[in-house]
Amino acid sequence: MEYILKNGIVYDPTNKIDGEKKDVLFKDGKIVDSVSNDAKVIDVTDKLVMAAGVDPHSHIAGPKLVVGRLYRPEDSRRGIVPKKGVTRAETGFSVPSCPATGYRYSRMGYGTVVEAAMPPLEAKHTHEEINAIPNIDVAPLPLFGNNWFILEYAKENKIDDLAAFISYWLRLVKGYGIKLVNPCGGEAWGWGMNVHGLDDPAPYFDVTSREVITALSKANEKLGLPHSIHLHPNDLGHPGNSRTTIESMKLIKDIAKNSAVRDQTVHMTHIQYHSYGGTNWRDFVSNAPDVADFINKNDYVTCDVGQITLDETTTMTADGPMEFDLHQLNGLKWANKDIELETASGIVPFIYSGRNSVHSVQWAIGLEMFLLINNPWQVFLTTDSPNAGPFIRYPRVISWLMSNKRRTEMIENREVHKAVEKKSALATIDREYDFNEIATISRSAPARAYGFTDRGHLGIGAKADIAVYNIKPNEIDPSLEYEAIEKHFGLAAYTIKDGEVLVKDGEVVKVVPSHTIWTNVKGLESQENAVIDSIMPAFNKYYTIKFENYKVHDNYIPNPIEVKVKAGQAAK
Amino acid sequence: MVYEEPITDYDYKVENCTCAFCGCNCDDLVYLVKGGEVKGELKDGVVVSGYVDGGHVVGCRHACRLGASKVMEDMDQRLLVPMIRDEKGNLVETDWDTALDKAAQLIAHAVRPVFYGWSETSIETMHYGLELGELVGAVLDNQATICHGPSLQAVQNAGYPVMTLGETKNRADMVVYTGNNAMNSHPRHLARYSTFPRGYFRKRGRFDRTLVTMDPRYTDTAKMSDIWVGFEQNGDYEFYNAMRAVLRGKKLEKDIISGIPKEDIEDLVESMKQAQFGALFFGLGLTHTLSKQRNIDIAINLIQDLNKFTKWNLIPMRGHFNVNGFNIFMALEQGFPYGVDFARGYPRYMNGETNTIDLLTREEPDVFMVIAADPGAHFPSGANRHLANIPVIQIDIHWGPSTELADIVLPGSFIAVEAAGTSYRMDGVPIYMKKAVSKPKNTRDDEWIVNELLKRVQKIKGIKPEVASK
Amino acid sequence: MTYVDKPTVPNVVKFDEPTATKRNKLEVMLNTGSDIYQGACKKRGSTLKDEYRHASGTAYLDPKDMAKLGVKNWDTALVKTNWGEVVVYTAHSRDAPHEGQIFICKGPWANVIVSPETYCCCDPTYKGVPASIEKTDEDPLLMADLMAEVYKKYDKHETVTANKLGKKPDNNVCHYRS
Repeated sequence: MEYILKNGIVYDPTNKIDGEKKDVLFKDGKIVDSVSNDAKVIDVTDKLVMAAGVDPHSHIAGPKLVVGRLYRPEDSRRGIVPKKGVTRAETGFSVPSCPATGYRYSRMGYGTVVEAAMPPLEAKHTHEEINAIPNIDVAPLPLFGNNWFILEYAKENKIDDLAAFISYWLRLVKGYGIKLVNPCGGEAWGWGMNVHGLDDPAPYFDVTSREVITALSKANEKLGLPHSIHLHPNDLGHPGNSRTTIESMKLIKDIAKNSAVRDQTVHMTHIQYHSYGGTNWRDFVSNAPDVADFINKNDYVTCDVGQITLDETTTMTADGPMEFDLHQLNGLKWANKDIELETASGIVPFIYSGRNSVHSVQWAIGLEMFLLINNPWQVFLTTDSPNAGPFIRYPRVISWLMSNKRRTEMIENREVHKAVEKKSALATIDREYDFNEIATISRSAPARAYGFTDRGHLGIGAKADIAVYNIKPNEIDPSLEYEAIEKHFGLAAYTIKDGEVLVKDGEVVKVVPSHTIWTNVKGLESQENAVIDSIMPAFNKYYTIKFENYKVHDNYIPNPIEVKVKAGQAAK
Repeated sequence: MVYEEPITDYDYKVENCTCAFCGCNCDDLVYLVKGGEVKGELKDGVVVSGYVDGGHVVGCRHACRLGASKVMEDMDQRLLVPMIRDEKGNLVETDWDTALDKAAQLIAHAVRPVFYGWSETSIETMHYGLELGELVGAVLDNQATICHGPSLQAVQNAGYPVMTLGETKNRADMVVYTGNNAMNSHPRHLARYSTFPRGYFRKRGRFDRTLVTMDPRYTDTAKMSDIWVGFEQNGDYEFYNAMRAVLRGKKLEKDIISGIPKEDIEDLVESMKQAQFGALFFGLGLTHTLSKQRNIDIAINLIQDLNKFTKWNLIPMRGHFNVNGFNIFMALEQGFPYGVDFARGYPRYMNGETNTIDLLTREEPDVFMVIAADPGAHFPSGANRHLANIPVIQIDIHWGPSTELADIVLPGSFIAVEAAGTSYRMDGVPIYMKKAVSKPKNTRDDEWIVNELLKRVQKIKGIKPEVASK
Repeated sequence: MTYVDKPTVPNVVKFDEPTATKRNKLEVMLNTGSDIYQGACKKRGSTLKDEYRHASGTAYLDPKDMAKLGVKNWDTALVKTNWGEVVVYTAHSRDAPHEGQIFICKGPWANVIVSPETYCCCDPTYKGVPASIEKTDEDPLLMADLMAEVYKKYDKHETVTANKLGKKPDNNVCHYRS
């Protein structure tokens, strides 16, 4: 089918199109430069047109999510929508059911989401959930930061073996890139402990986070993966952790990038949780300016924010010790899941409240990060869903970014605690994002960071993943009309995925299966086999599952998008 | 015990098969297959891919008595042909079309259908079952409703500090079984995961671990333990509360609590605090007594409190190989673990209201489909008596107690031997269970049967089927 | 295929137990659950056979209780609760001592006498049910016969046997259905 998306106001930062009135043509799921006379015309005169959204960090599928749903029926009951038309029933607010996740992303005009934590042992589970999520493409990142084999390689600085291991494991579990969560801390949590900072070694393994991060980054660049290492650094949520955060970023400084499809060599995730000053919760302050300053000066770093949305939500992370601390802090029900040889994880419900000084300052820190990082290509829109808030709050975050008036209102009307003025500089920043910057942080930049060349922009040959919003950029004043901004970014006029209209006027009109994006590294087969032979005795001895049954079989990825990488050679 | 000669009379071996019995899902089974033709790759007598067509399993290595009994099944009670009950009350053999059409008619016109079971079939089958359930507004429930349902409620009250079984194997120096006789219900649990194996940090296996059993009965597991705590029947709630009080530094006022001297409780708590890594496995002993989910609330809280001192985790000892799978599947698809009612067009989950036993004792259901389960053997008769009033559709592999109550019998196939599929171990680790041999002629895969029912119900309701026949 | 004739049980019942006083009927606490024999028979699918009757339709007693009742291994007894009554075998419990408790493996026999009451917690009360046990001369029924007699789904003729359900409680039956 051929279509003309007519007369929209197009924002496509990748191709330097900044609010130009033009037509977008697509055919057979791809953007093209010409169509025949039979093309169907979709009139979007003066409406906001962007590429479909790309979420760089969200928890939407996997064992953690299902524990969240299992043990929080109160959350599932909160988001119930009966079945209607093509959609099945939806449940859940912070941990929506899989179909609801797909519908809701689709309604916001999103087309691609990165599932940020996949325990390799339970990768089949993650893939089952990805298959149950409709309408979006999902790239899962396997957790590698506390894997025993990797801790050993890092300790002995065997980068070649490590690279071969990663390359093999990505194929085995059908993962996209390297995710590290609290390196060494997850292993320490196996004994109920944690590590603090980069130089606190994991018990028994006697390897530090510094070594693990460096080794994995080197292996990542050796392989030339399309994404850099995706780092959740140590000390999440501890007052005074900004030092660790900056130290972690410095580690990567001298590691040369080996990929042409991305600009960064490290992606720092939910940086809001890692930009705290002070020494305890009483003298807790924002250190966002320091962290933002470092990022401004170092273009090899990208980050996503993890903006607090002041909701009741469910925190879930592979950072097991942090979740236990959180449980000790708020006393709400604590779930934990330790995965043999690989990782830990934890879940605790959390109520972020504007009346609480700490939560309010956290809220301010997130916004400070957005507003203090100058280059929108280095900072991405996330709420670390569902940790800082569910992803359905993205439109609200956008409205905050676009309206200084709204932010001032919130501070002055005491919708947030007065500590915001004392402990952060938010009230003094009057920067407002424009539509081009919004398009950058929610589409173009995340796509670039992941090396997705086929999406996140509207250039010729890109996938026809397009979002149209009922916003007239040339008429609206987002600073004043922030409510309209929030409303319309939440309910796209059109969401087009692979050339098919999935959402029209905020309603899901078509449901299509999702695709799984994974990285296949070629060219290291003999090294891989040697590495597998060498680890097999330990694998058989310490895992409780046979190697044959460990891998993700092809039937779990019925719709793969395989990204082929030639090991060691920079992708085009 | 009778000594049996090792089996040598076999043609092929199929390795790394998964046991489809209890929640241990041991995935190291070797099936010895005789006869048939290999459809796939054969290497040194081992079938490395594909399955044996027409062969049958004559032996099974590594399996426990339970696993072996299921694999080496009793063929004379195998259901091989669809059957419908006639007016005289006899089950009469029929063809697939007749049986499926009749079942589809019953389901399509039902007001309050209940689809119960699912724990002994694959996730792939559940997909079709859920779609059918959403279409007709059924209640979908599984065996959790009569076993670990209270555990899930407790999880919803108190939390869920769990681990995978390998954590126990590699780290645990203290293992506690409570309200569970693992040696009888999960015979390889101690051997493969918790107590005997040599783990990374527990190189000497059994000698590096302390095994504790808390059970009113001196069970076979208790007999193997270092410590047996034989608290009184129905005394579990009091006993765990006492432990928790001691852990929090309180002095016990009574000298004997639930039949256990207070000094013993204090000693036990002290040794649990001293452990480097503790693992608690709890079973139906806790969920079936009067305090039901409250027992488990307190056990979970105890584990959470212990984590202030050292590392403790727990795992519920799930009974069937995929009972956890159904809970996971329902939660990921529709947000609730079991007992999900679609009658109103959206999922509803109300304990005590939308669960099979409560529905049956209230005599609400008008059609009951049981798939891969046996209510005849496992429901209290007070619930089963309603099954005598309504049509019952059974999808199963053996003639069992439920067949005596069934009106339509659809013979399925045996997952992990005759059909492949996904299952979830008790700790949530997904395993793809492979197919080893072909199924008996004229039986069908569960997946096919449920999909076929779905398509026929869609046709009756005038909906275009979207899923192609497999 | 090797069938077990009967589960293996200890055989040390002493009728001259000094502390035991002979009684015709004992008030006991009933527990149900699984054991390895029951599990194996059930999943092997030999439920129609004698094997299953012995594995599942057997009350395991403490030897002292057996002495009091005057029953030996594989004698038969009638177990009654508020919910029904059923004839089962008696055998020496492998888990003894547990005086005052009897254990019947889950299965059609135990079902007749356990409580369907869930107290709105979805799970029936399978354990800790007050029961009485007395010696009888009747034999436990095989599974199919038991199902037919207890539920009378396809044969509505009144037959009075020792295997029957108690009166149907009417407190939780929905009344809008006639």
